[in-house]
Amino acid sequence: MNRLNHLPTLRINPSEKRSLTYRGKSYWGFAGDTVATALFANGVRVFGRSLKYHRPRGLYSLDGECSNTCMQVDGIPNVRTENTPLKEGMRVKGQNVKGSAQFDWMGFMDKLDWLMPAGFYYRTMHKPAAVWPIAMKQVRKAAGLGTLSPDFEMKGLFDEIYPTADICVIGGGVAGMRAALAAAESGLRIILLEARPHLGGCFDYRVSPYNDDKKLYERARELADQVRQKDNIRVFTHTSMVGAYNNNLITAFQVGKEQDEFDERYIEIRAVSVVVATGCIERPLLFEHNEKPGVMQVGCAHRLAHTYGLLPGEQAVFSVGHDLGLEAAVDLFDLGLKIPCVADIRKDGQDPRLLMALVERRIPLLNGWVAAKVHGGKQVKKVTLTTVEGTVRRMIPCDLLVASAGLTPVNGPLTLAHAKLVYDSHTGYFLPTDLPEKMFAAGRMTGRNHPLSIEASGRLAGLQAAASYGVNNKTALAEAETALSGLPGPERGCKLVTAPVKGRKTFICFDEDTTVKNIKQAIDMGFDVPELIKRFTSAGTGPGQGGIPGHNLPLYVAQYTASTTPPKPTTVRPPLVPTFLATYAGTNHDMCKRTPVHDAQVKAGGIFRRIGVWQRARYFSGDFDCREDILNVRNNVGLLDASTLGKFRIHGPEALKALQRVYVSDMSKIKEGRIKYSAMCNDDGCVIDDGVVVKTGENDYYFTTSTGRACVTVEWIRYHTRFDGWDFHLVNLTDAMGVVNISGPNARKVLEKVADADVSNVAFPFAGYREFTVKGLIPVRAMRLGFVGELSYELHIPSSWMPAIWDILEEAGREFGIRNFGVEAQNVLRMEKGHIILGQESEQRTNLLDLGLGFLWDRTKNEAKTVGAVALRQAEADPGRLTLVGIQMEDNARAPKDGSIIVDDRVRGYVCTARKSFTTGEAVGMALVESQLSDIGARLDIFEDECNGRLLYARVVSMPFYDPEGQRMKI
Amino acid sequence: MALTLTCPVCGKRNGYEFRYGGEDKGPRPAEKGLTPRSWCDYVHMNKCVAGIQKEWWYHKDGCGSWFTTHRDTVRNLEVNEPEAPK
Repeated sequence: MNRLNHLPTLRINPSEKRSLTYRGKSYWGFAGDTVATALFANGVRVFGRSLKYHRPRGLYSLDGECSNTCMQVDGIPNVRTENTPLKEGMRVKGQNVKGSAQFDWMGFMDKLDWLMPAGFYYRTMHKPAAVWPIAMKQVRKAAGLGTLSPDFEMKGLFDEIYPTADICVIGGGVAGMRAALAAAESGLRIILLEARPHLGGCFDYRVSPYNDDKKLYERARELADQVRQKDNIRVFTHTSMVGAYNNNLITAFQVGKEQDEFDERYIEIRAVSVVVATGCIERPLLFEHNEKPGVMQVGCAHRLAHTYGLLPGEQAVFSVGHDLGLEAAVDLFDLGLKIPCVADIRKDGQDPRLLMALVERRIPLLNGWVAAKVHGGKQVKKVTLTTVEGTVRRMIPCDLLVASAGLTPVNGPLTLAHAKLVYDSHTGYFLPTDLPEKMFAAGRMTGRNHPLSIEASGRLAGLQAAASYGVNNKTALAEAETALSGLPGPERGCKLVTAPVKGRKTFICFDEDTTVKNIKQAIDMGFDVPELIKRFTSAGTGPGQGGIPGHNLPLYVAQYTASTTPPKPTTVRPPLVPTFLATYAGTNHDMCKRTPVHDAQVKAGGIFRRIGVWQRARYFSGDFDCREDILNVRNNVGLLDASTLGKFRIHGPEALKALQRVYVSDMSKIKEGRIKYSAMCNDDGCVIDDGVVVKTGENDYYFTTSTGRACVTVEWIRYHTRFDGWDFHLVNLTDAMGVVNISGPNARKVLEKVADADVSNVAFPFAGYREFTVKGLIPVRAMRLGFVGELSYELHIPSSWMPAIWDILEEAGREFGIRNFGVEAQNVLRMEKGHIILGQESEQRTNLLDLGLGFLWDRTKNEAKTVGAVALRQAEADPGRLTLVGIQMEDNARAPKDGSIIVDDRVRGYVCTARKSFTTGEAVGMALVESQLSDIGARLDIFEDECNGRLLYARVVSMPFYDPEGQRMKI
Repeated sequence: MALTLTCPVCGKRNGYEFRYGGEDKGPRPAEKGLTPRSWCDYVHMNKCVAGIQKEWWYHKDGCGSWFTTHRDTVRNLEVNEPEAPK
């Protein structure tokens, strides 16, 4: 098909070709085309089949208000091809068809409409009950939209941004642009959203004169240039606003252009004031076969020609109710479209200049006439016109019917913002009566249609928004008000909803195949409110989000029921336009941290698992029991990366008071050069954290927390001291410091080789804290701990030195056979010692006493108001609590799974950690059990997941299981 | 999600940056004389006002300060401190 390449309004670039494949054939389009316009240029007229009746469907609105042009593009179903930009190599397929869109074997369904009255899906096929499953299967096979293959994987990049703006203008037509420019005068930061790929709105494709020397499209482009030159206006094109929330939070989705890095992105705008200038859509005209391919709206036909260079047909009849229709007829006639006649629903009130233009072109105008029916198989061949009263009929051959009842405002954004919409009998629009705080409406949606009025209302709204932001612009505001009042106000609109027809094939909702007859049936059955009729007939619940039936439905219901109360629109909800779930999901949010020695552990064969925000090496071989690693720590020496520990400095004159508040122990007893192990509880006395504290100087402490608590420790301490105003400072050193744990009987031999200090048992005893350097350079904070039950040093080193010290220790330990051990090996080693890990040997309700850690709690420091102390005092007297005990399996062959429950006639506790110990040869573990079962020797019945009723049995034993005297860590 | 809050250090910021810290119930009571019930009331019981209440917020993705502010729980908007009834 030849394009009208000479038009100055074109938005395609005829020098840049883009290819697509459809039904095995390759087609060409141009940059700037949508998928649908490219197919249309290649002769495709039937784009898809309807939901129930498999009726052929074609281009209708070009703005995605219906599912007519929904197709499968690159494997993604339900893509609205009419507003999806064409990209190189797209693969397009029809959907909901047996065969093809052109020849659909299911086409016979259209003849069966008498079988499917309103609500048939709810009312029939369920008696007898056995029918329903069969019927449902058949219905679902025959009806529907696109299908998603089970192995489908969404490709592409889905971005998200959260910009703030002083003023957000929704709608990039002339009203929106004038509003943005007016508000930008005072230097405010403006965000301008436009759903189409370019600014200009309804001026963009029109060549009627704006004034003596400019046409409308030239004016639009002039304004767009002015907008672009303003540094303080940020423009988002191809961005559909989908949600409005209180506090003027606006959400939108932007479709990526070819050169953009993202395919689609979520935009959440926090604006102080908002201007809504979303304009109008056409209200569909209701008549028989009103959605047959070849019937399209005025704007669709007009834009096909002027934006995409495609003449929409050869011979066209117009049936319109608005001056835009007459303008399009004149304009398309000049481009070569044959027009046998134009039917105008209105009997008078047309723009005299347009009437003159029609006369000049000898296009007959039928005032008070409307289309009643189109004829033809898959495409329009003839149209029957009738007077509005239905008295006279006339049939005219044509291949295109441009049909539109009138205009109706896009007021979804106002509804979302809880504005009240009231039917206005002058314009026939639903207009807002009380706009929310700091929200303003402008442009065509207010009923104004004169180009100068549209602009003036935009400017006024922009200034009002700026004033509501706090700008003092009284003079400009008064001038803008005067200017607008001198211009034509809201115009009288066409009220006709339906042609004088019975409505068996008059579709009020295209997406759901709902006819006017269906609506009548619903009303006759007693549904009298549009909201209920909508649900019963499913009109307006399809992918077009109610774009086609949105305002026709309440208007028709009011008309048919001869209601005395004014019609009310049905509720709209976000998202206002269909969007990908992928865009909501955004890009991968699962970001995790790696320790400074991640790479070294990868090289050593580490198998990593996610722990909190971290990736940690859990195993170092395929043996997930970690036998070799464990025995190496017990008999030799092992190296563990513990950098994920929370590490903090607290200093200042009142630092100790803060520590006393959150730690259960008496922290004033910390001795220099010694470590203090303690725990933090919450206000219920439940343990939330444990770790060690050292004193590094006067009023200066360094402490560790568990991995999972690192991110909330600062918050926790400041929360519980928030009323006190104490003078202390907290520094989170978690990422600044790394931690190496070197454990095993040979640990000292390794450390001796590299440390610049005496690390003998006398100089650096168990529970000691020392600061020294390694190799004369690397500063180390060393603690002697016993978590794994062997001679063990925990070295805290600045992160940047971590890879170096890791290499140094591995090198020094090579002669002893040092090897890495992972988190699982550590887990078993400490379990053999009966040392707890919070979250494993505890859950939310486990308090300090349950864990047998009551010795940590200092009861004398009442003045400190220690967090948890009051609750602990109360819990002491509570007999109905769980107690942590050691267990040994009666059958030492294997341990139960972690988390298995302990039962008799009810649940009595659960196994926290249990392993087969390689050190002792026994299957042992720790369990939280009711205190009645906690005596040594008590027998426990363990119900393991998937055990099929075969219980496991254990006995309560004393802990620790290994080295009960604790000699080995003190050597 | 539409909430914005005014941090005393960082100014008006997106509500996502903050963590709720509960209604303002005043400083921790002295331990002496506390009954299990009065303690439990302090820790767990809330007024759940439908209207304006004073509450604590933490600027977790910002400066890390705890501060109090007034919020209209019906509209979920931060508001000025209401004038004391005369």
